[in-house]
Order: sequence, then structure tokens, then C-alpha cells
Amino acid sequence: MAVTSTKKRGKLEGAAMYPLDWLEERSGLVGGIKYFLFRKVPGDTSWWHTLGSATLTAFLVQLVTGVILAMYYKPDVNSAHESVQHITHDVWGGWLVRGMHRWGASVFIILLFMHMGRVFLFGAYKYPRELNWIVGVLILATALFEGLTGYLLPFDQTAYWATVVAININGTAPFVGPYLATILRGGAEIGPDTLARFYSIHMLLVPGALIGLIGLHLYLVVRLGVTSPPWSKDAADRPPDPEPSAPPRSGLVQPAPRAAGVRRRPSE
Amino acid sequence: MSSLDQRRAGFQRYKARVKKDGKPFYPFAMFHDTVMSLVVVCVIIGLAVIWRYGISGNHILGSLIGAPADPGTRNFVPRPDWYFYFLFYLLRIFKWPESVILATIGIPTLCLVLLLILPFVDTRTERRLSRRPVAIVAAALVIVSMGVLTYKGATAQEAIASEVKAAIPSWAKKQGFQNNQEALKGANLFAESGCTNCHTYLGTGSSNLGAPDLSAEGAKGKGIQFQIDHLTCPSCVNPGSPMPPFKALGPDNLKALATFLEASKGSK
Repeated sequence: MAVTSTKKRGKLEGAAMYPLDWLEERSGLVGGIKYFLFRKVPGDTSWWHTLGSATLTAFLVQLVTGVILAMYYKPDVNSAHESVQHITHDVWGGWLVRGMHRWGASVFIILLFMHMGRVFLFGAYKYPRELNWIVGVLILATALFEGLTGYLLPFDQTAYWATVVAININGTAPFVGPYLATILRGGAEIGPDTLARFYSIHMLLVPGALIGLIGLHLYLVVRLGVTSPPWSKDAADRPPDPEPSAPPRSGLVQPAPRAAGVRRRPSE
Repeated sequence: MSSLDQRRAGFQRYKARVKKDGKPFYPFAMFHDTVMSLVVVCVIIGLAVIWRYGISGNHILGSLIGAPADPGTRNFVPRPDWYFYFLFYLLRIFKWPESVILATIGIPTLCLVLLLILPFVDTRTERRLSRRPVAIVAAALVIVSMGVLTYKGATAQEAIASEVKAAIPSWAKKQGFQNNQEALKGANLFAESGCTNCHTYLGTGSSNLGAPDLSAEGAKGKGIQFQIDHLTCPSCVNPGSPMPPFKALGPDNLKALATFLEASKGSK
């Protein structure tokens, strides 16, 4: 009896695990997720280490709310402002989604700076994580550009004139400046093409770049491990002193070697 | 400076220690991450709600949307999103036209390059803050200067059109164009069109983006046609100029503005 029930349970477990085994055999994804979840992090990780994932959460909020806004927004100079008002006042929950996108951007930028500050103060940019620091700096610059392109989209006075000046400033850069400004404007002057261009850059090009960079950033975090805080043992420049297995206790159990030497001297 | 071998040995010690004393990411670190992410989402929703409803009817986060963008507008204040205020205010510090490129392109590029090369400049493995005085001073300076610039940018006041207009009779007297109706019309346009957001005229206005003082613009002998061409498309006449085009004012208004500028021979 006992043997058959064990057999039955084994079969049941096999049936339940079958889809996972099937997936694992063909993709290795289950093993990958297990590795991600159960990889060891330093025992002294703390709340300081949550800034990175908090930044990721803010970015995910931007992705979700951005997709919803794109369903209602019209990137056309004649209807952009109207469509934003429609989202804010008529669409059910539109004000919340737009508000979350508008202020989520600020939270995202703040968290990026805080995360960067934490990494700087923890010295987490040092060997072997230099490349991940560089990827992080690129994420910050790309995110700021995302903020700049999104600022034009409500197409109100502030948005329009701030963008006019921002593009003009861009144009003052040596060599590439004028070309960059022309590409951003889609012509010699700000016009209908500019708005469509900013919309496309804001919702396709830059988010794509950000997703790629963030993926690389996370891959490197998992590969190289989480940095321990600067107050942990391995934050020091040199290897720690060897474990004090035989503490020098001169005089009591063994005679101290130097004392022995001193004693020997008179006999010479 | 630590040699590469030392740095490699340090990383091996880190890996050994994490293997021995570390804890699995799930559930320990993931718990912290989840709590923090929930806080982030709640803060974003909270900001959206405050933006929409205000606190006891007081809309501290600003209006939901401004007036529709109007390229032919008379008075505008180009203002970026708040996280660009530090760059925005930087422009006001560099008042001389030749140095503006330092604020618009030079300093941001320098900061970006410094961030990118940081891990190659600081190659010590030491991470304890007590042993990194340079890093602490650098971090403190960056936080203080960005904080001050953001605050100054947020509280910066642009001249209001009505205040500028009140100064017109005294301009006319000083410049001697009281009887020149065309120049007086131009002076009014000058006050209404936001010129003093960047230019100074007889002590009124501000000097932003390297915009020159226009009190003695007419003494340069450029001629009315040049002024009209320049106002129509500043960057066509003066490549790299960040000034927005004022073509939308129309030929009559542009002629009046040009007359006013040519009548400005400087205070005697």
C-alpha cells in the first residue's frame, strides 16, 4: 500500500512539473530564473540596495502609463493640445494615468540620481564593475533626453517655447550642433514635423534604447554580484589580516621569541 | 592605486565571502525591493492625485496644462522641466556671449565625460568612506551646487511685460525717440514679446543665453533691413544663435521693432 501511494505521488509530481520540465529542456529558462532568484547576495545588503530596483519600478510605471497615453494622444500640431485635454478631463482615469506619467518621470529622474549617488558613495563603480557604471551613466543621459522630448508633447506654451530654446541650445554645439538641431526639428524651423518627430523619438527610439541599456545593466549586476556596503569587511583596500588562529600571548604559555633573544645576549 | 592583481584578488575574496556568508536574493533582498517598489508606486500615484486635486484646493504642483502652443505669441517664458533647472540657471551665470557655450555645451559635456571616466581615474579598491576624503568632498560639492542651482532656477523671476512697458516713456526720453511713433510701437512690442527675458535694455530685463544688452544696438549701424532679417530668423543671420525666430509677428511689427532698435543709440 505504502509503495503504491509513493508511486502515485511521484506520478502526480511528474505531471505537475511536466510543463516546467518541458520548458527547461527547450529553453533553460527555469534554471535561469532559479539562478536569478536564489543567487547569493552579500549578507549585509540593506535598504540602500533597493534604490536600483526602485528606479526600475519607476521606469516600468512610465512604460505602462506611456502605452496607455499613446492610445489617446494625437501627435499633430492641431489636435495634440486638445487630445491631452481630452485625456485629462474626459477619458475615465485619464487624469491619473497622465499624472502618473508626468510625475513618474520626475520620480524616475530623482531615483536615478539617488541610485547613482549611492553607487558612488559605496564605491560600487570599482573593479570589476566599471562597465556597469558606464552603462548607468548612459542610462541617466538617455533618461534626461527622454524627459526633454516628452516635455514638448502636451504642446502648450511652456512646452513649445522651452523646446524652441532647447533645440537652439543644441544647435550651438560645435560641428554636430546645427545638424542635430535640424534633425530634431525636422527642418529649418519648428513645425508639424517636429512634434511627430519628438513623439516617435519619445515613444519608440529612446524607450527602446533604455530597455536595452537597462537589460545590459541588470545582466552585469547578476553576473558580477551585488556590492557589499562600504562598512563590510571586504571594503578595505588590503586583504584583511589573517584569522588570529594563534594569538601572540607572550610570556605565559610560550616564552616570547624576542624576550628569549634578549635573554640570550649576555651569554655571548 | 591598486594593481590589477590586487583588484582581482579582492574580487575573489568578495566572491568567496558571498558564497560562505551570503544570503539568497529571494526572499531576503527581494522583500526589501518589493516594499521599496510599492512605496515608489504609491508616491507616484500620490503626486498624480495632488496634481489633479491640490492640497485643500491649492494646486502646489502647477496647472494641468497651459494655453495651446502659439508660435505667434507675444509673451512667453521658456522654462524647462524642474530637473533641468540646474542647467537653466547655469545659463544665467555665464552672461558674456562668448562664454555661453561653456554653460550650454561645455559644462554638461565635461560632467558627462568626468562621470564616464570616473572608474578609470579612481582605481583603488578602497571603498570605506573614511578613507576616501576626495570622493566625499566631490560628492558634497556636486550635491550642494546642483541643489543651489536648482533652487535658484526654480525661484528665478522673469520681468513681467506690464513692468517693462511702464519703463517705455523713460526709454523714449533717454534715447530721444519720443516723437517717433514707429519706434514707440516697436518699444511696446519689445516689452510684450518677451525680449527682456533674455536681453537687457537700459537696466531692465535679464541677460540669458548670452543675449547682448540692446541699449545701444542702434549705434552699431547695422540698418533696419538687417534688424528685420535677424528678427525673422536669427540663426540664419548669426549661425548658432539660440534666439528663437520672431517671424510670426508679421512684417509691420518687425519693421516697428527694427526701427525701435535702430533708434536705440545708447543712454547719454
